[in-house]
Amino acid sequence: MSAETILVEKLSKTYKVPEREGGFGAAVRSFFKRKYNEVKAVQEVNFRLTQGEIVGFLGPNGAGKTTTLKMLSGLLHPTGGKAHVLGFTPWELKPDYLRSMTLVMGQRNRLAWDIPAADSFLLNQAIYRIPEDEYKKTYKELDELLELGPLMKKPVRNLSLGERMKCEIAAGLLHRPRVLFLDEPTIGLDITGQAHIREFLREYNRRTGATILLTSHYMADVTALCERIIIIHHGQLKYDGGINELSRKIAPFKLIGVILAESNSHDLSKYGTLVRNEEDWEKQYIQVKAEDVTRVTSGLLADLPIHDITITDPPIEDVIEQAFNQ
Amino acid sequence: MNVLKLLSAFLKVNIQMSLAYRADTVVNILLNLMWLGWELLSLGIIFSNTDTIGGWGFGELIALLGVFRLVHTLMIALIWPNTEKFNQSIRDGSMDYTLLQPVNSMFLVTFSRITVWRAWDLILAAILIVIGVNMAGDTTTLLSVLTFILLTVSGTIVIYSLWIVLIALTFWFTKFDNNVTILQALLDAGRYPVTVYPVWLRILVTFIIPIAVATTVPLQALRGDLNLSRVLMFLVIGLASFLVASQVWKRGLKQYSGASS
Amino acid sequence: MFKIFRRLWQVNWAEQWQYRANLIMYLLYWLVSPIIYLAVWTSIAQSKGSVNGLTPNDFVTYYMTLLVVDQITSNIVIHTFAYKVQDGSLSGELVRPIHPMLTNALVNNIAFKALTIMGFIPVWIVLFFLYKPDFSSVTFSGILLALPATMMGFLVGFLLSAAITSLAFWTTRVYSIHEFYFALMLLFSGQFVPLTLMPKLIQDIAQYLPFQLLIYYPIQLILGKLSSTQIVQGYVTGITWLVIAILVFNWVWRNGVKRYSAVGA
Repeated sequence: MSAETILVEKLSKTYKVPEREGGFGAAVRSFFKRKYNEVKAVQEVNFRLTQGEIVGFLGPNGAGKTTTLKMLSGLLHPTGGKAHVLGFTPWELKPDYLRSMTLVMGQRNRLAWDIPAADSFLLNQAIYRIPEDEYKKTYKELDELLELGPLMKKPVRNLSLGERMKCEIAAGLLHRPRVLFLDEPTIGLDITGQAHIREFLREYNRRTGATILLTSHYMADVTALCERIIIIHHGQLKYDGGINELSRKIAPFKLIGVILAESNSHDLSKYGTLVRNEEDWEKQYIQVKAEDVTRVTSGLLADLPIHDITITDPPIEDVIEQAFNQ
Repeated sequence: MNVLKLLSAFLKVNIQMSLAYRADTVVNILLNLMWLGWELLSLGIIFSNTDTIGGWGFGELIALLGVFRLVHTLMIALIWPNTEKFNQSIRDGSMDYTLLQPVNSMFLVTFSRITVWRAWDLILAAILIVIGVNMAGDTTTLLSVLTFILLTVSGTIVIYSLWIVLIALTFWFTKFDNNVTILQALLDAGRYPVTVYPVWLRILVTFIIPIAVATTVPLQALRGDLNLSRVLMFLVIGLASFLVASQVWKRGLKQYSGASS
Repeated sequence: MFKIFRRLWQVNWAEQWQYRANLIMYLLYWLVSPIIYLAVWTSIAQSKGSVNGLTPNDFVTYYMTLLVVDQITSNIVIHTFAYKVQDGSLSGELVRPIHPMLTNALVNNIAFKALTIMGFIPVWIVLFFLYKPDFSSVTFSGILLALPATMMGFLVGFLLSAAITSLAFWTTRVYSIHEFYFALMLLFSGQFVPLTLMPKLIQDIAQYLPFQLLIYYPIQLILGKLSSTQIVQGYVTGITWLVIAILVFNWVWRNGVKRYSAVGA
């Protein structure tokens, strides 16, 4: 037994992706001679997790987060390096390993769609060979934490996204795994739903001492749950340490979103850097240093006919992008 | 023991699912009866124009219809729904969950969907076989009945193995999701004794897409058309095809996880 | 109008080409049963000399012609259209100023045929060399007479399938209904066996039903097996059913769309 629950050394994954051009001729050519592009999804990543830690695993889309999680859960073979989880090499897929970990992916269903979750739970009990009394105990505990009761009797397709996610997570925890890999467990949920799941994870970790490695798009997930974060970008480890040190390290920014009462003829660039936001055309965004927020806001309110103003954290990807892409 | 427990858990879940679609189940049973009617009528039409086909009489074709329906049930009750589930799980990525469960993945992929009410088809098939054999008046011994059962099982395993190979191919060729149609297409050839077919078709349905191994061959054993070495050969083929299929499945998983070079 | 069809053709051809591997599988599915029936009946006819007056060659030419006729008159509307109603993706097509069924689905079917024919021809040629059929009863005028009849068969079949498919506006069990239609087709079209070998009762009913227009009637025309009265009778039945099919489809479609938009899918 190693001291660490999770030990990752020089873990690498390179995909070979066949190169494809459009058109019939290219298709015929590629049939005879395929060209491959090498995509280095994960490059020599090292980290360790000790028992009971909750660590946020961050990085922009395509950074290699999911690939790493898949290797750690055993779904993918690495092209180099090694990993030990609970003393097992994950990709050997030993039943004893599978019985002591879980992988929950926010966008995938493990529960059968047409029947109540309770029935899928019983199936999991058989698959994981959970003794009856232990099953009852675990279920009771999960029910208490997640308030599953009213959800169990309805067919899964009739549940809301948030309700379904609760059931999905519970289904993944019935066998009391000691290691949890969570890939975007709160994706698509509303604020209350996210908060629920977060609270649950914290409590579950406190009660069982399980080790949790989670990825998320939502900064709030990470700040609420993790004291430590690991950031990867372009497949490389960029940061591993306390979350507070990170905010200090990269100059913290805030986003001020403004809707002007009149037309957008005013030049906002003198207040801060203009940022484009594809999802929200109505608002104009400017990025300012955290310590300047109060000053800039009051300046804006004094100078301009403001219809609406918001102050938000920049999206986590932008922060990381900024911090490491220079 | 654990396998039985798992199977019963799967059965329970699937009974739940078919209860969720009660009306569909009723409609499907009616359609099933309709097709049985058509099958008997079509045999009636054939035998109103001739006494034997390929050396087999009316009773023997009824029995063959019974054996064919066994295979057909395997197809409809297990292979089709699980193929659908499998293809779906490859598309939406839930295959990942299947692979991370501490149970043999081939087992999970085979039994996660079971069209439960089709069980009555098996009873129907058994009735057809008994009636057919009686009508044909062939002399049956305990040994020939035993051989018949063994060969039916091993023939079914051959078809099952072919299916496993076909869906495992999806691990290499992701777009290959109409994989099982070829099996379904040639299945119809199992309705008639292969002795009626020209040589090329006989070879195709015996060796390449071996439908006949599960339909004609067991009945040939029952009729006493097969000598011992033939019987043993077919049993060995059954066993071998299962071993090959599990190997291909393993390779497929390696391909999926990127472990193959 | 012509331009619309040309564009639709380009789009649908490209779409079908995408799925060519799957199409080969479908094609196989399509070809297998006639080939099995061919094998069974020629074998029976060979062992007895003839069945009810039909020689082995009669069976070979019948089923080989059937392969061609079926290739032309069959359609796949139920598979390419019903799901659009169920998952709501039809909405996008309904707001376009062209008829989703009579333009897009129709052209899609034709593109499907154009593609499957490439797989079909080699199979047919192989069968030809395997069985060396004697097609001497086929005449040029027979083929000329059969051409409009085959088109008519395709249209009747397409409109009836389209009407059944449009039942998807009301029920999710449209596939089961289609399965029933398919069984009727087997019974009354001549797909299983030349209708003359069917029980008298089925033959009598079959001549008034539309199903034989898709299979039996065009085959007999091509093979030159019909008297002039029978030819005229066939055309009259065909035109009658074509009118009925147009009316039925129109009615089902219009009410279906009305219902669809009322539900607001």
